[in-house]
Amino acid sequence: MTTLETASAPATTTTPALACRGLRKRYGDVVAVQDVGFAIAPGQAYGLLGPNGAGKTTTISMLVGLLRPDSGTVLVGGTDLAADPTRAKAKIGYVPQEIALYPELTGRENLRFFGRLFGLPRRRLAARIDEVLDLIGLTDRADTKLGTYSGGMKRRINIGAALLHRPEVLILDEPTVGVDPQSRKAILDGVERLVGEGMALLYTSHYMEEIERVCERAAIIDHGRIIADGTRRELVSLVGTADKVELVLDGDVETAFAKLRAVEGVVEAARTGASSVRLIAEGGRYLLPALITAVEGSATVTATQVIEPDLEATFLHLTGSTLRD
Amino acid sequence: MLRALWTVSALELRTRLRDGTAIVIAVIVPVTLATLFGLALGGDDPPLKATVGFVDLDGGEFPASVRREVMAAKELKGSVTLRDLPSREQAGRELESGAIGSAIVFPAGFSESVGAGKGGDVAVLKTPESPLAGVVASAIVDRISAVVDARTLAVRAVLRAGVPGDQVKELVERNGAAGPAIGLADDPLAGGKIDLSVYYGSGMAALFAFFVVGASFRGLLTERKLGTLDRIRAAPVAAWVPVAGKAAVGFALAVAGALLNWGASVLIFGSTWGDPAAVTVVLVAHVLAAAAITMLVTSRVRTDAQADGAIMIVSFVAAFFGGSLVPVYNLPGPLQAVALLTPNGWTSKALTELAGSGAGLAAVALPVGVLCAIALTAGGLAVLGFRKGLLL
Repeated sequence: MTTLETASAPATTTTPALACRGLRKRYGDVVAVQDVGFAIAPGQAYGLLGPNGAGKTTTISMLVGLLRPDSGTVLVGGTDLAADPTRAKAKIGYVPQEIALYPELTGRENLRFFGRLFGLPRRRLAARIDEVLDLIGLTDRADTKLGTYSGGMKRRINIGAALLHRPEVLILDEPTVGVDPQSRKAILDGVERLVGEGMALLYTSHYMEEIERVCERAAIIDHGRIIADGTRRELVSLVGTADKVELVLDGDVETAFAKLRAVEGVVEAARTGASSVRLIAEGGRYLLPALITAVEGSATVTATQVIEPDLEATFLHLTGSTLRD
Repeated sequence: MLRALWTVSALELRTRLRDGTAIVIAVIVPVTLATLFGLALGGDDPPLKATVGFVDLDGGEFPASVRREVMAAKELKGSVTLRDLPSREQAGRELESGAIGSAIVFPAGFSESVGAGKGGDVAVLKTPESPLAGVVASAIVDRISAVVDARTLAVRAVLRAGVPGDQVKELVERNGAAGPAIGLADDPLAGGKIDLSVYYGSGMAALFAFFVVGASFRGLLTERKLGTLDRIRAAPVAAWVPVAGKAAVGFALAVAGALLNWGASVLIFGSTWGDPAAVTVVLVAHVLAAAAITMLVTSRVRTDAQADGAIMIVSFVAAFFGGSLVPVYNLPGPLQAVALLTPNGWTSKALTELAGSGAGLAAVALPVGVLCAIALTAGGLAVLGFRKGLLL
């Protein structure tokens, strides 16, 4: 595991909203999850990244009590999920990956049903449903059947059903799959607001930019194990600090390419077309003037692009680019 | 936890009533089928009313004795009317016109011939339009034949023993072979006498109880596919709540359906199922067993489509071998034994007992006990199956 010791949960005296340790689950000979552990403080957003089949859903199923781990512990707000599942589950808001709602009921009826399961008294529940409908922007469609909703609206009700009881920790399993940009923005805005209000968040997604936007910390899980865990900066540093620099040249490209390879700081160079080259360079963004100067006399630089290392690069670096499932 | 149970049950009830399946499966289809079966295959046995022509060309003691016996027979009182007719031809005309359903013709010299130990022939005139009257006339003549045979035999024996002819009659009569004694013994059907409308009404109720409770358990698999089952399980509720919530509704709907079938049978056919308390207990026990069996089936399949198929197969097999579709007494002997391996067989046995004899709860203690045992066994196995898939 490429765990960064410096990237452990921030020092805090408060009880983690969600903590798991040594989680393990196997199906026959296949170990789906092994030694998974992390902690999320109140008001902290934590991302869980992994390719398909990496163990994300199995981990989440154990965290919300749908699956009993072979070993390991889950503490929700300090309550052991195995010892007191009812109390622990009452602190969790779980939003499954699929739209897990009743299409023949209205949005309000769906919210009422799930709110009652969390034991909310009738009057308080009615008021809370109105608040949640307002939060997810569906007040005007609350009394129409879910079957008539768009995909984005269903996604928002799907999230709203997990918010009624004001959970201490919200677990979102790929909440923006298949939604339009407007709904996606609304969902992310809402999630950020909730985190800002002190709710802990566990967020899984295949969209790296969502994790980068919402989560201050993230773990990368593959083959059932957490292989990296830290803040965005810490995770990105795992693939080094080299930038990718792409140049388009006009003139004697061959000679210019040889000169560019010789510039100090350039660790890798490749021709990507008749007039284009790609360089991997430490601090590439600061090296641009030197690169332009180096080709003078042979060619002129007509276009440049600098790509800094990001979470996606880290993810692909750690999990490989081989297709899964 | 009761609130969560009520919440799940309320949604299930609302869903079932809203989409109309509950009413269709629990009431409309079984009542319609029971009515059609009852009308097509029997319903109440038609009341026995037969007018039998009586042609006495003999004028002797034997026909007079037969008439006396028929008129005095309690079993035939109010059912069979004898109409004296002067000739065989007249009887034929009356028969053709439908005024009588059958006729018995004693030929001239009949009594004398029997008295001489020579036997005699009695004619029966019948028409296909009045089968019951024909059966009655034939039954009377069969009885007469037996008496005639006995008397002929006795007379011959006495003559062969050397008794003088003028003393034969006195000797035979003194020794009990005097004349006919018409007896109509009660001859119930094997397995108990039961009105067919009761049989098909209860049979359909027993069959559709499986479908009604099965639909609720099938709903568990639909919810698993929909993802809502996991969502319920992720809420702070006990693992058994989703199963119990649906089971309670399925059970209540199936019991209500069975009771409505009973009511419809009474209203449509005027049939009597027997002691109301005992019938209710039997129906409730049957629904319990059906619920446990369909729960067991559901616990062993993966999808709602598989559940549909499996529940249908189990329901129809239990219905056929248990006598819900074909009366058990119409099945071959070995299959009658198989009937007792099904809840439908025990339910049918109990309801037949109640409808046929007017007995009370004590008479159906064994079938009810067996139904409860089936429910416990299947329910226990189902819970073990659910633990692996739907509960944990």
